[in-house]
Amino acid sequence: MMMTAETILSFENLDVSFKTDEGMIKVLDGVSFKLEKGRTLGLVGESGSGKSVSTRCAVQLNARNIRIGAGSRIVLTEQDGTQTDVLSLKPNSRKIRDIRGGEIGMIFQEPMASFSPVYTIGNQMVEAIRLHRDASKKQARELAIEMLRKVGISSPEQRIDQYPGELSGGMRQRAMIALALSTNPNVLIADEPTTALDVTIQAQVLDLMRSLQQELEMSIIFITHDLGVVSQVAHDIAVMYLGKVVEYGSTKEVLKNPQHPYTQGLLKALPNVDHLEDRLSPVGGDIPSPLERPTGCPFHTRCPQAISGLCASSMPAPTQLTDKHEVSCHLLTQQEAAS
Amino acid sequence: MSTSEMTNETRKQQDAVKYYTASQWQLIWWRFRRHKAAMVGAIVLLTMIITGVFAEFFAPYGPTTRDSKQVYSAPQIPQFWDHNGFSLRPFVHGVTTKRDPVTLRLIAKPDPETRIYLEFFAHTGEDYDFFGLFKSDLRLFALDDPKAKIHLFGTDDLGRDVFSRVLYASRTSLSVGFIGVMLSFVLALVIGGIAGYYGGWTDYTIQRGTEIIRVIPIIPLYMGISAAFPPEWTNIQVYFAMTIIFGFLGWPTLARRIRGHLLSQRHEDYVLAAELSGASPYRVISKHMLPSFTSYIIVDLVISFPYIILSETALSFIGLGLRPPSVSWGILLQEGQNVRAIEQAPWLFIPAAFVVVAVLAFTILGDGLRDAADPYQVADK
Amino acid sequence: MLSFLVHRIGGMILTMLAVSVMVFAIMELPPGDYAERYMFRKASGSGIAITEADIQNVRVKFGLDRPAPERYFNWITNIVTDFDFGQAFAYETTVNKVIGDRLWLTLAILYSTLILTYILAIPIAIYAAVRRHSLPDYSLTVFSYLGLALPNFLLALIMLYISVTIFDTSVGGLFSEEYVGQPWSWGKFTDLLAHLIVPAIVLAWSATALQLQTVRSTMLDELNKLSVTAARARGVPEKRLLLKYPARLAINPVISTIGFDVNRIFSELPIVALVLSLPELGELLIKSYLDLDMNVAGAILLMLTFFIVVMNFVSDLLLALVDPRIKLQGG
Repeated sequence: MMMTAETILSFENLDVSFKTDEGMIKVLDGVSFKLEKGRTLGLVGESGSGKSVSTRCAVQLNARNIRIGAGSRIVLTEQDGTQTDVLSLKPNSRKIRDIRGGEIGMIFQEPMASFSPVYTIGNQMVEAIRLHRDASKKQARELAIEMLRKVGISSPEQRIDQYPGELSGGMRQRAMIALALSTNPNVLIADEPTTALDVTIQAQVLDLMRSLQQELEMSIIFITHDLGVVSQVAHDIAVMYLGKVVEYGSTKEVLKNPQHPYTQGLLKALPNVDHLEDRLSPVGGDIPSPLERPTGCPFHTRCPQAISGLCASSMPAPTQLTDKHEVSCHLLTQQEAAS
Repeated sequence: MSTSEMTNETRKQQDAVKYYTASQWQLIWWRFRRHKAAMVGAIVLLTMIITGVFAEFFAPYGPTTRDSKQVYSAPQIPQFWDHNGFSLRPFVHGVTTKRDPVTLRLIAKPDPETRIYLEFFAHTGEDYDFFGLFKSDLRLFALDDPKAKIHLFGTDDLGRDVFSRVLYASRTSLSVGFIGVMLSFVLALVIGGIAGYYGGWTDYTIQRGTEIIRVIPIIPLYMGISAAFPPEWTNIQVYFAMTIIFGFLGWPTLARRIRGHLLSQRHEDYVLAAELSGASPYRVISKHMLPSFTSYIIVDLVISFPYIILSETALSFIGLGLRPPSVSWGILLQEGQNVRAIEQAPWLFIPAAFVVVAVLAFTILGDGLRDAADPYQVADK
Repeated sequence: MLSFLVHRIGGMILTMLAVSVMVFAIMELPPGDYAERYMFRKASGSGIAITEADIQNVRVKFGLDRPAPERYFNWITNIVTDFDFGQAFAYETTVNKVIGDRLWLTLAILYSTLILTYILAIPIAIYAAVRRHSLPDYSLTVFSYLGLALPNFLLALIMLYISVTIFDTSVGGLFSEEYVGQPWSWGKFTDLLAHLIVPAIVLAWSATALQLQTVRSTMLDELNKLSVTAARARGVPEKRLLLKYPARLAINPVISTIGFDVNRIFSELPIVALVLSLPELGELLIKSYLDLDMNVAGAILLMLTFFIVVMNFVSDLLLALVDPRIKLQGG
């Protein structure tokens, strides 16, 4: 039985450019996708595809030279049920600060760099807890210790007074997760949280995130360039290429029945235990510089099935394959027109 | 495809080919050219160097030529027009000198009715000896009345032309800077080279030794050394002794950079390869390791100029550096050392502007070169 | 911690010993010796002819006939055990008497300069880095270029010139006339504070220019750190965020270069002191060099260097205090 899931964070037609000396550089071009309540959305793409930029828009964390299109919206359903367009909030206003941490928590790729090295773990956790929860210093400290225990850090009573430099890499990532969750956010944005970790620790952290999600009923956006990781944690997948979502759907659908040539290419580049003798075939060519954005479908410069005269000139509209499976490719619009 | 598009495309390709095949120096030059402020700095410095080297030609008078009629006379600015009308040829007003009845000093007063015109490429009759190469009396400009004198920046207490003296002083100060920088470069290369190439206890000893020298305040230390120069030394001897002192001023920083670079490259394969094929340490350092960061060395040399120029100015200013009758920026400023003198003749302070402009120009040029020489820098403006 | 202290203090003693050898060498450098200069100076006023025997007597009296290593040993022993720097021939008294109050006045100038530099440079540079590419930021860049190009002593001359021509007073000296040579009193103390302002501004000029650049570029680095973004993502208010995270770390290079600043200030102090006629060590140093009164000059060089070494040590301690990443260890 398929329940119609409730959307908690919806990105609608996000247009984003950066103002630079070389002129305006377009990084997001009409990006739309949804995060459903209690589910994990895997945001997949090469570096430069706009994964981080789009999620950072949800908490207004991008650099000052960012320009967001007038028709763009990011609608957040808060814990009390009200809906807010995050992009309409004033920068650094009270409201956006309440959302940061309070509604949407973030964890980052570099656990070391995301802590300040000159304050103890406890100092930074207590600060965050007291910003979002009504707690005395003592209560906040109790909450922090409890959260550290929850993410599997042994003897948290001692760890809390240590500096980030005194923890090991995996420990730090756990502490980072504890820090982000200690403020009780509904949504967690995890920006490549496992990329910098060893494979074994990576598995532990993924495990931890899965169990925490079930326990706390959180919704997670999991950013990664690794389809293997995404298949382990994500319920849904959005594949991004050069500032566009090219394919969106449930993980099962997208991985079993990929429709966009780019998604197909990414899957072919994955090692497969069943066919170890096959050579890996990476997606050919390089991702173009954002300074020289291709016209039409951005992928046409590397697409093995590009239709000449069409793909280079016009942008394909999204095709709805099933309830949830959406693909933006001329191959599909052509088929549709033919049938 | 139309022909214009064609040529456009080929030009683009040619540009790309040019870019990818350009040598390191061409790349640096292209990047440097875009740095406007640094270009201005370079032009200012070139002007200073050229007018300094050919001071005999650019200065209307010798550095010690006295004009006894005009003591402490104010700067004269060449004019094209006055109340008597316009003239295509620039001129200055004639000067009459009178003795002040109270102080009995000669006071020069411009006479607005007489015009004395400027003559360019003039033979002044005052011979100079250009570095012992030839004798001439050709100068860039002079007044066409041989009895009158032009003082662009005024005169000092002995009636010497400040403009001419500043040009000769630029020559001295810049050359002290240049020789000083070259000396510190050689010292840095030898000491930093030994420390960086051999490493280990050699490096350790040199490092500790440098630290001890660096802990003593540098100017007081060098004042002590220059105080010890025997009074009977000639100006030439003092000049060279001072450049040696200034040479010692700059080397520790530079030596550290060279050492750091050599240490980091020490275990690269190409060094091992060169050693295995029997190259001497000198050859390995000079032919294989140093060329990879020549551009950085040049930047370091350029930015160590200001320190030497400022030190020369400071030491000569208090009388512990070069000695009159040599002229350097510091010596010229010495005349303006007491406030009363400056109050009476503010133009004695003009050499200070030269010091400031030269130091500024070197600093900005150094910044521009550093930006241009760094291949890994992010375009961050 | 203990091993750190032992190690560092041991290192300081060794450094000072090596420095004292260099200073002694400088003292020995000028042609002729103390006895000759002493006798010539004595004779120049009176017109009495001096003989080689007279000079030899003086030599024996002050132990100058001994070989250099022995003289060095006597000199340094007297300093270490009795704080006795010997005789100042130009003043016909002891070096200690000549130096007198100048030691404390030098420190007063040093600390007022350091304090002025830091209270100017740190907040302004942090503000400029946060408001990057703004008018204050560009003015800071222009100022720091100028601060490095205009030498302090010229600035001192300019300030003197302005004060004399426009305000008709002189900003030189450390005391008003009525307090010169008077015993210390509250009035004299406040008078000194007022007179410290101009030397402090002049000496802080280039130090501030340098620190502005350092703090600004460190602050820019720190602002781009992920830890700042992460704290922002937790909803930390902007002002508190800037002060707690990047600004705290932007101060580190300032602390670590205190010794360097002191060295720089002492390097520039003598000439500035000469221009502003400040009765402190630097001015006396130049006078003693010109008189070749090397006992005084050596004493001053040694004292200045000693302060630099001590301030280097203080800077290490402070840095370990504010930055938990630095461990105080011997070695």
